[in-house]
Amino acid sequence: MINIANLLRWEWFKLQRRWIPWILLALLLLFSQISVWGSFFSYRSLESTGGEIPLPSEAGSEGPFGARSEGRIPTVAVNDLLAGDFSRLPPDMSPEVIAGLVAQAQQQATQQQAQLQRLYDDFAMPGSIPNALGTAQTFGLILLAILTASVIGTEYGLGTLRSVLVRGTGRWPYLAVKFLTLAVTAAVALLLVLGVTALSSLIATTLAGSPPGDWASPSWADAGVALGKACFSFIPYLALTGFMTVLVRSSAAGMAIGLGYYFAEQIVVQLFSNFFDWFSTVADYLLMQNISAWAGGFSFGAGGGGGPGTLHSFLVLAVYTVAFGIAAFWLFQRRDIAGASGG
Amino acid sequence: MEELVIETHSLTKRYGPVLAVSELSLQVPQGGVFGLLGPNGSGKTTTMGMLLGLVQPTGGTFRLFGHEGTNPDALRRIGAVVETPAFYPYLSGQANLRYFQGISRGGSPKDVDRLLGLVGLSERAGSKFVTYSQGMKQRLGIAYALLGDPELVLLDEPTNGLDPAGMAEVRDLIRQLAATGHTVLLSSHLLHEVEQVCERVAILARGHLIAQGKVQDLLRRQGVVRLKTTDDEGATSVLSTLAWVDKVRAEGGYLVATAPPERAWELTKALAQQDVYVKEMVPVQVSLEEYFMEVTGGSMTGNRQEASR
Repeated sequence: MINIANLLRWEWFKLQRRWIPWILLALLLLFSQISVWGSFFSYRSLESTGGEIPLPSEAGSEGPFGARSEGRIPTVAVNDLLAGDFSRLPPDMSPEVIAGLVAQAQQQATQQQAQLQRLYDDFAMPGSIPNALGTAQTFGLILLAILTASVIGTEYGLGTLRSVLVRGTGRWPYLAVKFLTLAVTAAVALLLVLGVTALSSLIATTLAGSPPGDWASPSWADAGVALGKACFSFIPYLALTGFMTVLVRSSAAGMAIGLGYYFAEQIVVQLFSNFFDWFSTVADYLLMQNISAWAGGFSFGAGGGGGPGTLHSFLVLAVYTVAFGIAAFWLFQRRDIAGASGG
Repeated sequence: MEELVIETHSLTKRYGPVLAVSELSLQVPQGGVFGLLGPNGSGKTTTMGMLLGLVQPTGGTFRLFGHEGTNPDALRRIGAVVETPAFYPYLSGQANLRYFQGISRGGSPKDVDRLLGLVGLSERAGSKFVTYSQGMKQRLGIAYALLGDPELVLLDEPTNGLDPAGMAEVRDLIRQLAATGHTVLLSSHLLHEVEQVCERVAILARGHLIAQGKVQDLLRRQGVVRLKTTDDEGATSVLSTLAWVDKVRAEGGYLVATAPPERAWELTKALAQQDVYVKEMVPVQVSLEEYFMEVTGGSMTGNRQEASR
């Protein structure tokens, strides 16, 4: 245990002196805030315009809305219609059409409050946390694959694995510390996402002013659950990329396989599910499908509805983690350690 | 009886059809410098790899400090550089040594600075490893091997990339280590280097142990006596009957007998008893390089026929 703690300390000593974790962290924070600020700007837009209504096709072919010919559909703000401000409508528009647009605006206005509340939830605390963590989880998997392959693979590429093991660290403690460092780094990165999101939320809510109507703050428990789920969803993918890197003994190849799998599984599932009904059963046991289901359907191409349940996903992900972990340790323990491979 | 720090019994490593090390039985006593000699591809690095737990033996056993196989405790008593020293390019030389000292929990941060001074890297201690020249990398490798003041130091071609002055410094350092009670296992194909610092050697060729023992004993055993006689044909038959004469051949007008030079007088006696008289006799002490060529049967490339001993 002392050995593990000591190795962990020195692994961090190395990691913090590399550029790659800091670059990946910056990207993660950036991506995670896109959804928060995206919601904020949508909120501001909805609040000021009340939303947009597309003009009927016979209108807007001329005048200020003559852009239809350039491929853009002309719209009019709901708030303008409700306020009786028709100055931005084409001058030749018939009163019947205008009346129809006003009726449509009134109908849309009844839903506006709910939309505003939903958008406000997405950038105000604590609702912004699941929102930001969802995005962080999606991009985080990609970034984690890059970091894992780099942290494990460069030891083979540089030949430093020999220098390390010759110091009597022991093989399995060293690999365990690698995995542990990556898992802790991922968790810390998510906590930083949390911190930055809190700051963003503070700024965004200040800029947004008072919350819409009878806004009720979402539960903090949901934010906690989102954090826990995002953390756990990283573990099996970390195990997969770690195992692949140990298998191929190269950071570049490990990265390629790790990232390739991320996209390949989702493409295969989309493709095969369209042709074979039975494939959806197989898909329920695939890694990315279960990560997506576990985290709430944040991954590319994965639908939020359907798919495996939470318990099912948890068990499948646990099995993947254990299987990849055992395979990685077994390989690492028994194979010869060659000199620098360069990759 | 000498205490052995390394003892191997029929140690073997096979990579598919390639036999890298075959039935190697080696005894490295405590203290002094032990040379592991052999052409490229003779199995020196693989042997070191097996001793350090980096390469799994296919057969045989070995003991380090009297204990079976490699274990973390034994490794903490060993300092080693196998092949090219490998360090983290994004860390300075000092940070690299601090890291390796930290993970093995041997010595203190002060040792890092002392060792950097010892190998002449104090001024560049803070520079990133990636900026180091080949010679500086080699020096850092030696400092790395000495971290924690190990009892046994394994150095694989430690003078690679060093200039003549650097090579001499490393040789002095190795002698100094031996003088202070350390055991050094030095792998090299630079025979004059080994001859200058090693008391004992083992010679490998194509994974087989060709010879092992004290350098002086091996050279004495492999000494030659050049002589001219009144009857070279008769002398050849007489000398061939002597058990301690290894070979007799004609070379440049002389008979060359492979025999310990200190027994030259016995040669003259044996010849005289058969009415063959010596006209001229020159005992010749072979160098390690000549001895190596003799027992391995050729060059340092390892492509030759293996010696029959």
